[in-house]
Amino acid sequence: MSLNNEEINRYSRHLTLPEVGMAGQLELKEARVLMIGAGGLGSPLGMYLGAVGVGKIGLVDFDVVDHTNLHRQIAHTTSDEGRPKVESLRDTILAGNPNIEVVIHDTRLERENVLELFSHYDIIADGSDNFETRYLVNDAAYFSKKPLVSASIFRFQGQITIFSPETGGPCYRCLYSEPPPAALVPS
Amino acid sequence: MLPGVVGLIQATEVIKLILEGGVPLIGRLLLYDAMKMNFKEVRVRKDPECVLCGDNPSVTELIDYKAFCDVPLPGAELPEDIDEAAYGLSPQEFKDAMDQDPNAVLVDVRETFEWDICHIEGAQLLPLSSFDPVKSGLGPDDSIYLYCYKGKRGMLALKELKNAGFKNLKNLNGGIDLWAEEVDFDMPQY
Repeated sequence: MSLNNEEINRYSRHLTLPEVGMAGQLELKEARVLMIGAGGLGSPLGMYLGAVGVGKIGLVDFDVVDHTNLHRQIAHTTSDEGRPKVESLRDTILAGNPNIEVVIHDTRLERENVLELFSHYDIIADGSDNFETRYLVNDAAYFSKKPLVSASIFRFQGQITIFSPETGGPCYRCLYSEPPPAALVPS
Repeated sequence: MLPGVVGLIQATEVIKLILEGGVPLIGRLLLYDAMKMNFKEVRVRKDPECVLCGDNPSVTELIDYKAFCDVPLPGAELPEDIDEAAYGLSPQEFKDAMDQDPNAVLVDVRETFEWDICHIEGAQLLPLSSFDPVKSGLGPDDSIYLYCYKGKRGMLALKELKNAGFKNLKNLNGGIDLWAEEVDFDMPQY
């Protein structure tokens, strides 16, 4: 794998950083990242992963863009209302960097499809908004032996960590062994 | 704006994993508070008792996550089951019934911040979070018309009122959200 002249020019500020360099930029290009959720967290996550040159980005979301999403899900614009979020986010990412591949999965993540989906990627990034999906993604990432970069938000607070039991860290269940009572979960 | 900050930290960690550079957020939980504008870091460890990645795992394949997450509230009493269809009215039925009912009392059981966004004219606010049929000021002969955002909380309040002995009860199916779509076209939706 190599970079063409346009890519060398585009990523020149990376290439001159010793911590990235040509070797690092090629690692980014070879990387395959699967994002769960194309909403509030997925918007900036996808836009930056694409801009810096992650070679393959997968997007999973079954939702469509709603008017009430626009104030925080900044990859989607007013004209995207009603479109599948994965399509809208893909278009925004590719407008920023057409050199990469964005694969869309306009589907609900289920135990029937999750392991097959994960098998095509190296890193999982969870930006989902419900506990069912969080436990599903955690377990599937563990069985697939893939690191899970997890982020969540509630009201004015956010949490970020990497679950990587393979390398000695905890998994989501080590922190949260039980989901909260359904009646207390904000919708 | 919160998801922007958090999503970019997440992106940074993804890039660091790919480049195998820096100190990754493994074994550390980073907490961000936008109001206090601070970051806190909590050390998190692998739990040897973990049912998934612990020493004697019991979860060895994917499970039914919907059932797993459907946890009842501890000690919660199940409200007496009633035939909800008998008490729920469509927005137009709700309006027509109220207009013809001299004893109609319209009660909004949403929270104050929701009331401030919009409410139906003539309603009184009795938030479900502090709802008490006895202290509500409602009378036994009142015809009580309840509404909330989507219809669920109104039905919960209705059950409490029914248990407390109130007789004439109606709930707005679909709540104020559907009311805005079908009756009052000037009403904002949120």
